[in-house]
Amino acid sequence: MGMNWHVVVDNMPILAKGALLTLELTAGAVAIGVIIGLFMALARLSKRKVVRAGAIAYIDFFRGTPLLVQIFLVYFGIPMLLKWQTMPDNYQYTAGILAMGLNSGAYIAEIFRAGIQSIDRGQTEAARSLGMTQAQALRYVILPQAFKRTIPPLGNEFIALLKDSSLLSIIAIQELFYTGKIIVGRTYQPLPMYLAVALYYLVMTQLIAQWVAYMERRLGKNDLG
Amino acid sequence: MILVKDLHKYFGKLEVLKGINCHIKEKEVVVVIGPSGSGKSTFLRCLNKLEEPTRGEITVDGIPLNSDVNVNAIRREVGMVFQRFNLFPHMTALENIILAPEVVRKTNKAEARKNGMELLAKVGLYDKADEYPDRLSGGQQQRVAIARALAMKPKIMLFDEATSALDPEMVGEVLSVMKDLAREGMTMVVVTHEMGFAREVGDRVIFMDEGIIMEEGKPNEVFENPKNPRTQAFLSKIL
Repeated sequence: MGMNWHVVVDNMPILAKGALLTLELTAGAVAIGVIIGLFMALARLSKRKVVRAGAIAYIDFFRGTPLLVQIFLVYFGIPMLLKWQTMPDNYQYTAGILAMGLNSGAYIAEIFRAGIQSIDRGQTEAARSLGMTQAQALRYVILPQAFKRTIPPLGNEFIALLKDSSLLSIIAIQELFYTGKIIVGRTYQPLPMYLAVALYYLVMTQLIAQWVAYMERRLGKNDLG
Repeated sequence: MILVKDLHKYFGKLEVLKGINCHIKEKEVVVVIGPSGSGKSTFLRCLNKLEEPTRGEITVDGIPLNSDVNVNAIRREVGMVFQRFNLFPHMTALENIILAPEVVRKTNKAEARKNGMELLAKVGLYDKADEYPDRLSGGQQQRVAIARALAMKPKIMLFDEATSALDPEMVGEVLSVMKDLAREGMTMVVVTHEMGFAREVGDRVIFMDEGIIMEEGKPNEVFENPKNPRTQAFLSKIL
């Protein structure tokens, strides 16, 4: 069987469509993950034992079990819990984004926690001694500084998440990898097609890496904190 | 203004404060001296509840500092200046100063800025309003930190070794701002190693060692005629 590179060229637009969906799924999961991550990080640092224990349990579960299993748990589990007779149209997208968001929330929680803890205690003390509440100190003093320090690890997490979104092919979401697989099934050209798929992933992860580097430069110019 | 009764503080099993009693009057400048580890910083930090006292009573401006009290209400009236400045590095000098008035006192931005610029002028840094802390020298940072505390219009100012982290040539500029404040009648509690400042500005000197007040009195009395042998030993080492 000879290699047919024309297959790649012919299917560029379809792959691009898959890549776009991959980006959208990742963006959705990132949005959910950042929100969950922020709350879980704060809960993890709470003075209340129950709140802290809840956050630890959440983080342990989602970091300690495979994303693939979590995708199935959400995709099949929610309809069972809610006793749905049939799955709504396009439910797989909701389930896929949710599963990835829940998963990345655990990782992002740890990133934010480390960022918050890296800020000198004196910053909180200065803010509190000026009469700010704990929440005000967090919002105006701690989080803006912590956020800047979390940009590099957050970039890593976003890149990992984008690559992991290929797992969503398992619930028939036609993202980049799934699209590539379908085309291979039709054309019997695995090497050129999967190379093309890999290249698409590479371009997207590079874009994230560049964006992270840019943010780092932009936010870093004012101070060394 | 500040009343302290039988204040005890433990860190784990270590007793750092072993029963402090003291009364600080309005407009009084009290200088706290003593060897490191004597508990003087801990004492100061108890006064605005950065440290939770283990036992004892503290009353600030008529309000008892117990667990029920709104701590933030007390802290608004008590400014604090730290050894390591603790300026917010992501904000300019002026932003550092106006943050708390805006957020805590809900002062409008224009007024907060106006007050902020006046305070910067007062500490001699009017032209540094838009500089970030890392572009300022240690002495300048500490003066911004003092302006930041003053922006809340506190009734009491606490200074926790405010000049100890400074290069020698910058100590003077910070002390001179503190002297101005004392002259204007601010109630001040100053933990310091600057004995010259204690003599010149202090209304009263408190000598602390091993978690208790060993001796207190007017600066001349304490410095010229220390009664407690521990005070004598301490002063002979540093004077």
